[in-house]
This record gives sequence, structure tokens and C-alpha cells, in this order.
Amino acid sequence: MSVSSNLTRRQWVAGAAGTTILAGCGTAPTPGKLAPVSILKAPSYSEDLYALMQRIIVEHRLDVRGKRVVLKPNLVEFDQNTVINTHPKMVHAALEAFRAAGAADVRVAEGPGHRRVTLDLADAAGYFSTVPKFESTFTDLNLDEVTKVNLVRPHSKLSSLYLPNTVLGCDLLVSMPKMKTHHWAGATLSMKNLFGLVPGGVYGWPKNVLHWAGIPESIADLHTLFPRTFSIVDGIVGMEGNGPIQGTPRPMGVVVAGADPVAVDATCCRIMHIDPRRVSYLTLAAGEEQLREDLIPQAGERIVSVSAAFALLPSLESLRLVNPASGS
Amino acid sequence: MSSFSEELLDRQNPDGGWGYGRVGSSWTEPTCYALLALTSGEVYSSEGSRSAAAARKGLQWLTAGQRSDGGWAPRPGVDESTWVTALALLLPPELSAGDRQRAAQWLLSQSGRESGFIYRLRLRLLGVRLDPTQQYDGWPWYPGTAAWVAPTALTFLALQKLNRFTGDSQIEKRLAEGKAFLLAQRCRDGGWNHGSTQALGYDSDSYPETTGAALLALHDSKAPEMGQAIEVAERHLRESHSLEATSWLTLGLLAHGRTPSEVAVMPHQGTVAISLAAIAGAARQGRNLFVS
Repeated sequence: MSVSSNLTRRQWVAGAAGTTILAGCGTAPTPGKLAPVSILKAPSYSEDLYALMQRIIVEHRLDVRGKRVVLKPNLVEFDQNTVINTHPKMVHAALEAFRAAGAADVRVAEGPGHRRVTLDLADAAGYFSTVPKFESTFTDLNLDEVTKVNLVRPHSKLSSLYLPNTVLGCDLLVSMPKMKTHHWAGATLSMKNLFGLVPGGVYGWPKNVLHWAGIPESIADLHTLFPRTFSIVDGIVGMEGNGPIQGTPRPMGVVVAGADPVAVDATCCRIMHIDPRRVSYLTLAAGEEQLREDLIPQAGERIVSVSAAFALLPSLESLRLVNPASGS
Repeated sequence: MSSFSEELLDRQNPDGGWGYGRVGSSWTEPTCYALLALTSGEVYSSEGSRSAAAARKGLQWLTAGQRSDGGWAPRPGVDESTWVTALALLLPPELSAGDRQRAAQWLLSQSGRESGFIYRLRLRLLGVRLDPTQQYDGWPWYPGTAAWVAPTALTFLALQKLNRFTGDSQIEKRLAEGKAFLLAQRCRDGGWNHGSTQALGYDSDSYPETTGAALLALHDSKAPEMGQAIEVAERHLRESHSLEATSWLTLGLLAHGRTPSEVAVMPHQGTVAISLAAIAGAARQGRNLFVS
């Protein structure tokens, strides 16, 4: 295990053990006790991503033996000229790694926000050709059985949400987003990726009810419902500019992972030279103070060694990290 | 009986409805499409046939699901009427799937939130220019949200079908708005996507399934834009592998007098796709239940 110099092995283990997830059955992390975030180099998708996933599982002490695991990639639209979706090789590697770690069942599940014909989209995005028996492994969350879940003290205007039983019933939810800019939210990472859990079969395509309820507020609400989601961010090639669909590919050669979505997303923001304390959904979910870089233990690479300024739309320039070297 | 109809009969739940997949609880959308599919075939006309019995049972399930406000929820247990109400209204009137007038009234009470008076007034007061696509009343997927292409196309078809019998001026007015909404929502390539033609100034491309559905809804439009839309639909049909998408494209092109070619599709399929394929098959034989 490679640990950055400001984190001892003891701190690492304590942090990881405290937040190993079982989705939907926990409460938000206590302030000041954030789980470590792994920053791992992976220059291309031809790397041994399976070994990388195994390393993440071991480093974060994810005990999935006998558990039901759901991998939630970001599958939105397909455009051969850009990189909208989580790369299927990332998802395949995670699938095999969690199976090898003893999970009783590992499913890939997604509810795309624009396209109804999910399997057609998955085919175009290369999931069928990359993931063996993809169809039998996949659950379309837009059309899954649902249960109404009430929101206690919501940030948004929502008082409840219908959510898919496949996710509500799993032991471990793994959010696997693409590292992208987002023209409304600033950045779309592991927390925003949870929009795909909201079923189109109830709310439609797109899940416009979330937009009217407030995008940052809805992201924060979904985080409240799934606070212990494990996150693995595909930053091997991210998207900058007019993300999340019409942006430009940005090779970053990095995978970011951790058991606290707030910590992971804040770290990804810093890698993209976005100030996480100016990203509304992060401050709503955790408070500005909690997003300090020194409160997020980091393992693997240092942020400064993998970061680069993502192109931002002019309307988002105010989110730019002022001093990337210090993370503030 | 077509293989699609056989498959639908095998998928019917004991309660009479259909789920989205081979197994799963009953939802309004797949049930409506399955009923449309079963009743679009010639087999249905023979009294006592298996499909006729299945349709009767399905209709019972559907009728029991009509809510007190006249609409239908996506499935039992969801406490909100939504766009699926349009699908129930699309069923042939002789099937008596619930109270059609109350269903129509519910649909007429719905419109995209962004086209509402208060929202428009607020934008004006804020000095924000109205987007041309927000000038017309379309229909949302879910109450209190914006209007989108697919629910507008399907509600348009349902109300248009109903109004052939009623000639209601209120419905006529909404149909004119709905048609204008769809024409305003075309993408740069001439087809339709979910309903976002531009994202912060960047043009968006169309999708096969929504292009087919919008083309079907605009079956009697003589607008000059239709020629380009038909070309886009034909291109999508050549490139698409999804049964659901190709069925919508087939229905849309047939409604404009074209003879779409048969295409190879992926083997997987949900109940909606299978139903639409059966409906498209019947349309190829001259019986398009969406418009006739």
C-alpha cells in the first residue's frame, strides 16, 4: 500500500474501518472523521485495471464476502467523439474484482437520464462487447421495482422519493462516475452520479423532478439516503468544458476511490482545479469546514502530482481553485 | 398469432397486468402497450381466443388502477398520476379502460411547468428572455415539472384520438399547442431527442426512439420541416439495433406514407419493446392503433 507522507498506517486503518459501507443503513460521517481517499495512477484503459480494483478493495478493507454489491456506472448518452460514460473496462474490472473478493452477487445497475432504451445505449458504449454476459448482469434502474423512501429534513423541496429495490436491498453500493465538469453543478462525480438511481419509470426521462427540487439540494438529499456509498471515479480520461455530455476529453490518468463520497468528490474537484468549497452540493452535504484538504486523508499519489486545470465554462470560472498547490 | 403476441401472453402476470421484463410486478406502461399490441392483432377479434381472454384480464387490472383524479399512476403504490394516463386513453374506446372523460380532463389539467403563466411572468420580471421552445404548452412526465417530447407526443396522440369522437374545442386548442411544441423542439439534425435541443448554446442531436414517436404524433402535419425529419428517421432506422427504437421509427415513418425497411435488432427485449414491435407489425398491415 502506498500512503502519502501526511498519513500514518494507523490513521489509514482507523479511517477505513470506520466507514466501510453497507448502503442505506448508516448515518452521515461524523465531522472530522473522514475516510481516506486513494489516488491511483492509471495512464490508460489498457492498464491492469483488475489489479487496481483489487488494490482498492484491499486498501479500503471492503469485506464483501457473501454480500450483494451493486456497481453504478455513469451511463448517459453515447457520442463517439467524446467520453461521456464510465469506461466499460473500469466496470468489468470492478465486477471481477468484487466477485473474486467473495461477493455473493455483483450487479451493474444504471438508470440513464435521457435515453429510455438503456441496453441500446450500453451496447453503443461498449458494455456488451467488454463485459461478458452483460445483459444478465445488468439491472435497468429506470424500470426496477420501487419503494417509497421518506426524506427526513431534506435539503431540497422533495419530501420523499421512489427508489429502486435493487439498490435499496444491496449491501454495498459502488458509485463509479466519470470525472467530468457539469454545466450546472460544477462537477459531476460520485454524488451526482446517484441521480441515476432515481427511476425514470416513475419520474420520466429526464428525472426533471430533481431539477425543479434543486440540483445541488437533490444531490445532497441522495447522499443523505446513501451516505456510505463506496466511490471509484474513472479519471483515466475525464471530460472538461461543457460537461457532462458535450465537453472535451481530458486525459488525467487517475482513479480516485474511497468510502466517503464527500471526501472523494472534494479530492476529485481539487484534481480538476475546482474549489470544492464553492461546489454547492458538497457544502450542503458536509459543510465548508469539512471540505478542508487537511481533513481528508489521502493515499497513493499526491493531488498536486496528478492535478490539472479542467477547462470550465465562463459561468463556472468562479469555482476555480485559487491556489491549486495548497488546495485552497 | 405473432411470436411477439405469444411472448406477451406468456409474460402476463396472474393479476392481469404486465411488468417491464419477463418477470416483475405489473406497471401501467407495459400493461397499456401489451393491451394495445394484443388488440392490434387479428387474433383478438376471434371471441374466446387466448389473447382476448388475456386482454379482458389486463383491462380489469388497468381499470381498477384509475385514480380518483382521473389519471393513472405508473404502478400501484405510487401516489401520483402521471403521463401514463395518456397510454390508457390510447386504448380503443370499445375496451372501456376506465373513465375516458375523467382521464382526458386530468391530461388537460397538465402542462409543462416552464410554460405556466407564473413561471413566464417570473422570467420576464427577472429580465430573462423566453426560450422559443418554452412558448407552447407541452406535457410533462410527472406533474409539476417541465414538458418533454415523449409525453407530449403520446398525450397528443391520445387526445387527438379521443377528439375524433368528441370535437372538444379545449382539446383542439391543446392539440395545436402540442403540435407547435413538438415542432419547436426539433434538434439541429431535424429529429427529436428527449427535449433538450440546446445545452448552453451547444446543439444536441436527436435520438431514434423520440424521433419516431414525434414523427408519429405529427402524422398529419404538412409543415415543411417534416421532410428533414423523415430523412433523419430513415437514417436512424438504418443505424439502430433496438427493437423499441426501430418500432417507433417504423410507426412514425408508416404514418407519413413511407415503407420502412425491416432491420436486424438485438435479441434482448422488454415488454414495452415487444409490444411496440407487435403494434408496428400491425401498422405494416395497415392498422396503426395510434392514429386510427
